[in-house]
Parts: sequence; C-alpha cells; structure tokens
Amino acid sequence: MSTAALIVTLGSVVLAALLALMMIPVLVWLERRVAGLIQDRVGPNRTNIMGFRLGGVIQSFADVIKLVFKEEYYPGHIKTGRALYMLAPAITFSAALLAFMTVPFADTLNIDGEALRIQALPVEYGILWYLAIGALGIIGVLFGGWLSHNKYSLLGTQRAGSMGLSYELPLGLAVVSMMLTYNTIDFNAMVAWQTQTVLGFLPAWGVVVQPLAFVLFSVALFAETNRAPFNVVEGESEIVSGHMTEFSAMKFALYFMGEYIAMNSAAAVIITMFFGGYQLPYLSTPELIESFGSLSIAFMVMTPLIIYCFIRWMRHNNDVRPSLSNDGGRRFEARVLSIVLLVKLVVLELIFAYFAFAQPSALQTQVAVAVMQIAVFVLKLMLFNIFFIVVRWTLPRFRFDQVQKLGWYYLLPLALLNIFITAIVIVGVGL
Amino acid sequence: MSESIIFYTLALFLLGGASGMITARRTIFSAASFMLSMIALSGMFALLHQSFLFLAQLLVAVGAIITLSMLVIVSVNISERYIPKEPHLGRALLLGALIAAPIVALIVVALQAHFTASFAPVPEDFGTLASIGATLFSAWVLPFELISLLLLAALVGAVVISRKGERS
Repeated sequence: MSTAALIVTLGSVVLAALLALMMIPVLVWLERRVAGLIQDRVGPNRTNIMGFRLGGVIQSFADVIKLVFKEEYYPGHIKTGRALYMLAPAITFSAALLAFMTVPFADTLNIDGEALRIQALPVEYGILWYLAIGALGIIGVLFGGWLSHNKYSLLGTQRAGSMGLSYELPLGLAVVSMMLTYNTIDFNAMVAWQTQTVLGFLPAWGVVVQPLAFVLFSVALFAETNRAPFNVVEGESEIVSGHMTEFSAMKFALYFMGEYIAMNSAAAVIITMFFGGYQLPYLSTPELIESFGSLSIAFMVMTPLIIYCFIRWMRHNNDVRPSLSNDGGRRFEARVLSIVLLVKLVVLELIFAYFAFAQPSALQTQVAVAVMQIAVFVLKLMLFNIFFIVVRWTLPRFRFDQVQKLGWYYLLPLALLNIFITAIVIVGVGL
Repeated sequence: MSESIIFYTLALFLLGGASGMITARRTIFSAASFMLSMIALSGMFALLHQSFLFLAQLLVAVGAIITLSMLVIVSVNISERYIPKEPHLGRALLLGALIAAPIVALIVVALQAHFTASFAPVPEDFGTLASIGATLFSAWVLPFELISLLLLAALVGAVVISRKGERS
C-alpha cells in the first residue's frame, strides 16, 4: 500500500466518522432551531461556554454531557435477558453508523495509476450494503422493546417490526428501478452517470430521470428512519416512547443518536442516488479538473460576498432583545466570530489565488477538486437534512393503520409499476 | 494467518449461535443466537470474497427472517408452559445421534477428500452480482421461474388461509 493510498483511506474513514458522529449534535440543534422557526419562537440559544453560544449548538454538547453523567437506571422488573437488553440500543446505533460507510464523498482519485476511492469502505456494492446493514437497525428495536416487559414498549415493537417489513419492500423495489436505470449498484458509478444531461439542458439527476422512484424511495426512507409523519413507533401521545420507554441515560442516547445517524445516512444515500451526489450540476470531474483555474476566480469573487452576508446576518441575529442595551456577551461573541470568519476568508482567497494564477501541479488540482466535491456533498447533505426536519415539523403524524395502508396499497403497486415502466423504456431505448 | 484467526472466530460464533438456538429456553434468546450464527455465516462469505452472497445473507437471513420471527415472537408470546414436555429426552437424543451418524461419517469422508485436493483459483468475476445475475437468467432461468411460481402459490395460499375466517 502506497503512502497516498494510506492517507486517502485514513482520511476517508476519519471523514465518514466525523460526518456521521459530529453531525448528531448539529442535527439535534438544527431540529430544535427549525422547530422554533416553524413555531415562531427562538429555540435554544442561551447555553454558552465563556460567552460563546454559536447560535445554540453548545446546548447539544450540554445535553451529551448530561446524558453521559445521568444515573444508569436499570428497571427492576426486567429479570432475564439483561445483557441483550443492554446490547439492543448498541445494535441499532452501530447498524445506523455502518450503513453510512459506503457513501462516496468525492470522485475517485487517480494517483500514480492507483484508483483511490473517497469512501470509508471502498467497495462497489454500495446500495446493497446500505440496504443490508440498514435493515439490521430494526433488530435492536425489536430486542430492546420486547425485553422491556412493558405494554407500551411491546406496542412500539410490534409497530416497528411490521412497519419495517412493509416499507422494506417499496424501498427495495425503488432501488431495483434505479439499478435498472444506472445499470450498476456502485454509488460512484451512479454519480458518474448523473453528470449527463437529459433533453440537452437538465442535469440527468435521478430525481429528473425517475421522479416516481425518488418519491417512493424517500417516503420509504422516512418510514425506515422513523421520522414524522411516520413516527408511529414512538408516537408520544399514544404509547409514551414506544420501544425506548424503559431505557435511560446512555442506553436511551444510543437509540436517539442512532435515529439521527440513520436520518443522516438516508439523506446521504438520497443525494447520492437522486441529486448527483458530490457533483456540481453540469460539471463532471474531468471538466472540473480542466477548468479549476477559472472556477477559482469565480470562487474568489463569490466567497467575500457570502462571508460578508453571513457576518451581517450573524451580527443582526445574535441579539435576543434589542431593548437590552448591554448585551455585551453576544457582542463579544459576534466580534470574535467575525474575526475568525475574516481570517478564514483570507486563507480561502490565498488558496483560490494559488489555483487561479500560480501553476498548480496535476495532483494539487485533483486534491483541490476532491476537497471541493466534499464541500458540495456536505452542503447537499445539510440541505436534505433540513428538508427531513422541515417535513417532521410540518406534517401531522399518520395513524398506524394509515401507515400500513399507504405502504401496501399505494407504495408497493406504484413501485412495481415503476419497475415495469423503467424496463420498457430501457428495452425501448436499447432497440 | 489473520484470515485463519478471523475464520476460527467466525466459526466459533457460528457454532455457538447454532447450539444456542436449539438449547435456549426462551425464544428471544433462540432468535438472538440465530442472528449471531447468520451474521457469522455472512462473515464467512465475506472472507471468501463473495460480496453478493455476503450481502444477500445479511439482507435475507438477518434483515427479513430474523425480523419476521421476532415479530412472531412479539405477537404470539410463547412462554415455557406451552412447550410440550419431553420425558424421554436422553433416549430421543441417543436415537437421533445414531440415525445422524452415517451422514456425519459421509461428511467427514467428503471433507477429508476436499482437504487433500488442490483447487484451481476461481475467475475474477466469480460471485459478483453481475455474474450471478447472468447465470441465473441464462443457464438457470427455468428453475428460477419455477421457484418464483412456487413462492407465488405459497403467497396466495397464505392469503386464502388467513381470509378463511372472514367469510363465515
């Protein structure tokens, strides 16, 4: 294994772990702030370290510390199966974490004739891995809920099991139609396919080519990740917290974090399959490498504008009560953050200037393009996570029988129909 | 070296899970042991670089069968008093072992022949999704379609049986 391969592998694993684990506090924060936005209130914004609130992200870290130091309460009525009861949240958590690992963050690097994938698990059966490992998460829910010996947990478990089974089918069938379209199960090849254009001007993203499959796939994934409007498994007003009722402290936190990681992986898979993954629309990786100089000039113009707007926005909003004249802590925070952002701006400008005017080597350009693709991927990922959150706070929860009816009566026949149409179109084009 | 360590660890889990499944008193532990052995089996496939079998094993055995059997356990609530009494357990085990002995002997002989034989390396695309799909839909298309018909018949039969009570 060469040095480059070692660096790329380590980098991808670290990146995947960071994107999965460090996303949890950010997503918890985003969930609360977006909920606040939708319900016309502020959301968490007081917790701070030395006056730094970062818009409320610190609240999530305080929550983590609280959950870690909470009393490890073990319900006395659970006599047998203690080890399995403790293990169940870990099964759900690790399944969600592992399912994220085959998502590519940038195009394959070609260094000294070696093709290095920017994937934590550099395998070519990405979507199958996601389906197989993602399906394991339900096992932890079933074990945990059953061993809780609690009627609410039992109801939640039954709901989780039957919903998992009925939505696995449209999910798998939607994937089959996408496999027919892309003629591959490799995430990288799927993204490469999506750099084409359809009708001459639209990027051939999965959502343009297969809109029905996109709807089926996202609805099934909303159900698989237990997000509203499908959160019947822990429908708070009906069955307390479902399978999580008897779990406390870190055991509960593992379920909770597993749910967010599952949502994050679902968003990552959706953008990889339907929204061009790490690609910018219209620009394939060779084109990007070729024209990275002129792109850098465009970035040099755009970055100051974006950062200027962001600083203005932050200074305007990092203020709770305008009537309070001496809100000194927030002013101080805004000032320090502005300086940090300006330093970041200067560093970025220098980097872009280097790529625009100096003569960077081919390797440097390749790495810069990969980094830019990672940035594009993270941006799309955040946008889709926000979409998940907005849907949760906009739609009311379905009744359980409605969920089942939707799965079996509408999604399953539609998914079968979609495969049929896809096959006809593919055969028709091939003739 | 590392491969054989992984192999023996997986084999330990596989056999431990299999024996746990038939000896556990509560059904939930049987299901957990079964899951353990199925995951270990898929690990064996992964060790042989059979990516498709590895993932299909996880997807079907763990994702579908375990979930379904757990759903049955959750819905039916089998407790120990429903399990039939086994007064002559020792005798039955002895008899079963005697009946199974010739088959075990056959397996041992077959395995010994295999250990001494030398194997040709399989082609590069052996066991990938594409090659399995191509084989399944060219050379094995008739059995494949027959099995799908069988499954369809089973599905329709299950629906008919479950609907029986509704008519009366």
